[in-house]
Amino acid sequence: MEGVSFIVDEGEFFGFLGPNGAGKSTTIKVLTTLLRKTSGRVSVSGFDLDKSPGEIRKAVGVLSQETSLDVDLTGWENLHLQGRLQQMSGQVLDERIAELLKLVQLEDVAKKPAGRYSGGMRKRLDLASALINRPKLLFLDEPTTGLDTQSRVAIWEYLEGLNKKEGITIFLTTQYLEEADRLCRKLSVIDHGKLIANGTPTELKESIGGDTINLTLTDASVKPRAKEILRAVPGVIEVMDSDGGVTAYAKSAGQIIAGVITSLDGAGIRPSFLSISSPTLDDVFLRKTGRRIRADELSRRDTEPFLM
Amino acid sequence: MTILYDTQSLLERYLTKLVRNPTLLGTNLVTPVIFLILFSQLLTKFGEFIPSAPGGYLAYLTPGVIMLNAMISAPLGGVSMANDLNSGFLSKMLLTQVRRPAILLGRLVTDMLMAVAQSIITIVVALLMGVQFSSGLPGILLILLTVAFFEFALSGIFLTVGISTRKTETISALGGVLFFPLIFISSAMFPISFFPSWAQTFSNYNPVSYASEVTRNLVVGGLTFNSLVSAYVLIGIIAALTFAATLFQFRKVVS
Repeated sequence: MEGVSFIVDEGEFFGFLGPNGAGKSTTIKVLTTLLRKTSGRVSVSGFDLDKSPGEIRKAVGVLSQETSLDVDLTGWENLHLQGRLQQMSGQVLDERIAELLKLVQLEDVAKKPAGRYSGGMRKRLDLASALINRPKLLFLDEPTTGLDTQSRVAIWEYLEGLNKKEGITIFLTTQYLEEADRLCRKLSVIDHGKLIANGTPTELKESIGGDTINLTLTDASVKPRAKEILRAVPGVIEVMDSDGGVTAYAKSAGQIIAGVITSLDGAGIRPSFLSISSPTLDDVFLRKTGRRIRADELSRRDTEPFLM
Repeated sequence: MTILYDTQSLLERYLTKLVRNPTLLGTNLVTPVIFLILFSQLLTKFGEFIPSAPGGYLAYLTPGVIMLNAMISAPLGGVSMANDLNSGFLSKMLLTQVRRPAILLGRLVTDMLMAVAQSIITIVVALLMGVQFSSGLPGILLILLTVAFFEFALSGIFLTVGISTRKTETISALGGVLFFPLIFISSAMFPISFFPSWAQTFSNYNPVSYASEVTRNLVVGGLTFNSLVSAYVLIGIIAALTFAATLFQFRKVVS
């Protein structure tokens, strides 16, 4: 990570969006005292990272990317151990455990070893253990990576509730556009350890300045010619390479689409697929980096030429 | 709250895990009994060649098997630490307010308790087989203290390797490599007068010999203050070295 600077306000739902290897986990590890930074200044919940790492650990909750539970212990025992390590005890701890088991809907299986839980259940138990000390700030490192849709939506609902009802500030990293779009009120888009865009999801999408026209071209050799033709169409703001074709950004794309098709047809270029859409966060990423966020499995790609 | 609270929390965790893994627990508890019965029955006639051993070969063997328990338990901590490092559970613990040394202490106490439990079983089986413990209950308590201390000294080797390599296979392999020469080229199982001279020399420097002799003197009698002190000083030196190495590796992970 280099030259990364950001402020997350209290009560915010803040997201770090970027592909695998962008530096998201590293940032969380530094912020939560697990990794040492080489330079720079960090303040978490009003505590300086270098001076009071202990105070930070007391004030925050962390959900790591890899679900880390003791699979030999039951759900209840996992939460009990976590609470004791957070210096809780007695009735206060017992009540908190009951409250959290209810929140993540694991009351019925609380006495079963966590090793017998499904992936979604483990993630929910891990989330509960991150909340045991009533943190004001919750760090979530790719909380839904590898989960099925149902579990993912369940986690989203818990997180929205925690943020809205309990006022917990949330710092989330994700490689999923839909997740960032739905949950985060403020976003930083990062790539290769650098911040490339900041703002609300709406602001970021509006920064594209128009709609998106996606063309899929089976014959890659016609790409340069297609880009040339598109650039000449009035109303087109920008044209970029994208996976398996070309993406153009244009104001009121619906009105110029006939012109686009006619021009391409005149040059003998027939796209195998064409779509018009409102810009997504993926377009923001594409515009800034020239690449799409690859690992994204949520936003359905129109075509996957490699599979054909 | 104190470091004791954290150590207790983690001790409970490690003990619960042992109880939930009956195969691991059972294997560890049964191994010394197998050694005791197997060697004493196969080598019954061996006692005739040991003129100074009252109670025959079984009485000679018992203290050696008790010290062997320290070696069986010692790798457990290293394996557990490697697993916690690989699963991310150690990171999860480090994100809490737990006092860092408690993570090591809880594990060390668990493994010492394991060695003590194995030794109690060994002693009970030996008593049932007719071995007389000449120094009585105080002697048995001192035997258990010695085996716990010896286990602590050996644990550090495996904790250091477990934390630095994060590979449980390496720990198992290392356990095997250390186990046989240390146990068999010592006075634990056989009197060293039967050994060739190079093995006698090795045995005279082998800490297992010292720990076994103290225990043997507590079983068959004749413990001297000097032999007790020299065994404890030697184990103490090993403990200091291995614990320092463990702390060195652990600090690298913790900070």
